Amino acid sequence: MLKKSLYTVLVFSRLNTRRFFRDRLAIFFGVLFPLIFLFVFGGISGGNGKNISFRIALLNQSSSAFGRQFDAQLTASHTFKVDKTVTSLSAAKDKMGNSQLDATIILPPGFGDIKAGQSYPSGNAQVVYTQDNASAGQTLTTVLQGEFNQINSKFVRHQEPFAAIAKPLNVKSLTQFDYTFAGLLGFSIIGLGIFGPVNVFPELKKQGILRRLHTTPLKVWQYFVSTMISQAIIGLVSLSIMFAVAITVFHLKVVGNYIEIIPYLILSIIAILGIGLAIGGWAKNERQAAPLANIIVFPMMFLSGTFFPRFLMPHWLQVVSNYLPLTPVIDGVRLLVTEGKHLTDIGPQLGLLGIWLIVIYLIAFRVFRWE
Amino acid sequence: MNQPILKVKGLSKIYDGRAAVDNISFTVQKGEVFGILGPNGAGKTTTLEMIETMRPMDGGSITVNGLDVAKQEDAVKRIIGVQPQAPAFQDKTKLTEIIELFAAAYGEKVDALQLLKDVQLDEKANSFAENLSGGQRQRLSIATALVHKPQVFFMDEPTTGLDPQARRNLWDLVREIRDRGVTVLITTHYMEEAELLCDRVAIMDGGKIIALDTPKKLVRQLLSKGFKKEQDVEQANLEDVFIDLTGKGLRD
Repeated sequence: MLKKSLYTVLVFSRLNTRRFFRDRLAIFFGVLFPLIFLFVFGGISGGNGKNISFRIALLNQSSSAFGRQFDAQLTASHTFKVDKTVTSLSAAKDKMGNSQLDATIILPPGFGDIKAGQSYPSGNAQVVYTQDNASAGQTLTTVLQGEFNQINSKFVRHQEPFAAIAKPLNVKSLTQFDYTFAGLLGFSIIGLGIFGPVNVFPELKKQGILRRLHTTPLKVWQYFVSTMISQAIIGLVSLSIMFAVAITVFHLKVVGNYIEIIPYLILSIIAILGIGLAIGGWAKNERQAAPLANIIVFPMMFLSGTFFPRFLMPHWLQVVSNYLPLTPVIDGVRLLVTEGKHLTDIGPQLGLLGIWLIVIYLIAFRVFRWE
Repeated sequence: MNQPILKVKGLSKIYDGRAAVDNISFTVQKGEVFGILGPNGAGKTTTLEMIETMRPMDGGSITVNGLDVAKQEDAVKRIIGVQPQAPAFQDKTKLTEIIELFAAAYGEKVDALQLLKDVQLDEKANSFAENLSGGQRQRLSIATALVHKPQVFFMDEPTTGLDPQARRNLWDLVREIRDRGVTVLITTHYMEEAELLCDRVAIMDGGKIIALDTPKKLVRQLLSKGFKKEQDVEQANLEDVFIDLTGKGLRD
């Protein structure tokens, strides 16, 4: 009897999986769509701050040798992208006004001249920026000051009584992409697990396909388990592609062990799928399913750290979002994948996800309707 | 052969305070084709759905081959086959896979191709269900309903919307199924279909059975009341002309 029940489950999950890979629209939303997000967000956070550059105009009004040298140095630098077409302050103001430039550096007349009684050149460079670009302007000033400090120390030797010395630890810290990637995996899991069933079930009900199945001895649990299996397979394919892209294109370093990562991903996929099964299984039609799905998915997506890390949120919001079902998914994946933690280290995430899994499926079984 | 396989006693269903099915009783014998006739809204489909375990009954009892529909839902499902009014199937699924799927729902493995051959769909075995015509979809639906060799087969208005060729083909199919010893319960609002196919018919109106007998006897009863058609009946009608001109061959 049990063997027959399992045969039912296996056939349903096999045909379900096959069906997914024949459906171009499903493949687009399940596999390609998250990949597009990966490229967009990976592109934004790519380089981890090493590639930060300022678009500036450089107005060199000095005639000193030092001024010319400094001009050349800035132009050659990677940190500054000098717009050579700008030659007047008014043109620079225009371009700063519509955000084509971050700031303007002015080397005033007399900059770099050697004043009487001194043996080295001196002068003040001006950093001009608009109010809206204040943070870029201030950062630029600091960067420029850093450059000057290095130059100054070559001209004037003096002993500094106190200094801060940077001592980098040999420990890998998280880059922004690590957060982005874990969040995007969460996004992908939601897309497949929630929007999949929420779109499919009302359609199956409308056409009476579920109702026809209900005239057979098929049980809800068999239907659910077969959906879990096929979604786990589809999900793993989709996530593997994301891993491959993240590793090859965005230089993601997977510190963790795949033998631990994969089961955790499967658990995550199945837990989140339960939300989709509950909504889609309950809803009689699209008009019930879509709004409910949006009410549940969007807050969860933003609060659980899908698109930006949770540590940027106010404390109280972090406390609340801690307990959402997607949070242990994203946190757990990040801890396993990029922080090299083990399943034994992420007890809180495993526990919370386990509790959600039980709660979600209790609800899903209870509210399921065949028509 | 008089061996009852389906017994319906005092069956009722209330929708919004109105009796959609009002205290009806009938018995279907093993191996017969039993028709439920009636205009739209007479309660045919509701009756069928209660027998199929799909709707809870508000009164009365039903047994199928001695099994109580209210209490032994699962066992009943295993001996009945169901053909819904408008059969639909998941898209991007081959016909053989659909057969396989329905068989699996009963925990069984079947020869999908043979079952498709039985309903003349073997040539379409590798097509997707969404590419079938109306008549082909009905035939596929019949094949899926027979995967577990049911004892009683329920068909809800199977020929509605089909062209005359497809309808005749379906009638032949129903006779074949009956010849295999399967009891068939069919609803329709085409009288000539009932007359040709059914051993006995129940006529429903307003949730009640208002007549139950063989088609011949029902006609005789009417004639004995002195009924006369206004015109002499021709030896053929327009449908006979249509079939004569276009042939009986299936068009889909």
